[in-house]
Amino acid sequence: MARMKFLCDAERCIECNGCVTACKQENEVPWGVNRRRVVTINDGIVGAEKSISVACMHCSDAPCMAVCPVDCFYRTDEGVVLHDKDLCIGCGYCFYACPFGAPQFPQAGAFGLRGKMDKCTFCAGGPEKDLSKEEFAKYGSNRLAQGKLPACAEMCSTKALLGGDGDVIADIYRERVLKRGKGSEVWGWGTAYGKPDQKAAPAGAKS
Amino acid sequence: MKNQTKSRLSRRNFLLAVGAGGAATAAAIATQAINPATAQPATNNDKRRGRGYQETAHVRSYYNTAKV
Repeated sequence: MARMKFLCDAERCIECNGCVTACKQENEVPWGVNRRRVVTINDGIVGAEKSISVACMHCSDAPCMAVCPVDCFYRTDEGVVLHDKDLCIGCGYCFYACPFGAPQFPQAGAFGLRGKMDKCTFCAGGPEKDLSKEEFAKYGSNRLAQGKLPACAEMCSTKALLGGDGDVIADIYRERVLKRGKGSEVWGWGTAYGKPDQKAAPAGAKS
Repeated sequence: MKNQTKSRLSRRNFLLAVGAGGAATAAAIATQAINPATAQPATNNDKRRGRGYQETAHVRSYYNTAKV
């Protein structure tokens, strides 16, 4: 079975925030909640500025699932991590556990009272009946059941944000990297291994 | 003396009536609470099944645009 994944190509992202807008519009996300955000590093530094679009990454071993005291998370056969708002108590543990800051909490009243957790659903709705009013009200659109993919990925103008079957989007990304004619440009590569052009071994160096 | 006995009895009747009414209300609330639970649309297994991803023409068209 296909495994749903997001992949953001930092070489293509132009920080337009189109994905953020598409998500908010498609799912009618309330004020103060952003299921998706665009993060920019080295902002303003020519040549070093990179942006990526971040939301729930639907982890294979999701820390939010591990820490939830009421066990409201579940993973579908397609690898989409979803949660049940009827069980959620809004404690915020998942927010502390998530390395991407994906869980969001709408303000439910005065004095900073937290509401039920809200996060990216990969446009796959929730435990309610597919495409029902209740499902839309709690979790937003269920595009997967409509034979579509997440609105953010489909709306991305530069196709930087890829979403869908992990095997297919990995192939698409691999093709891109090969076509660019450079070494690997996966986000974080430079931090981990140094820039490819600075890594050239000095002439005459012994292996 | 007779009056006192009568008033005690009527108070008992009143308390009995209140008790019976309360029990009936509690039963009605319990029935209402059970109904939504039985009307839950999804069981745990239903939740975990796939959300209906299929490689439709729409999805294939998206993959093609991403290849550009």
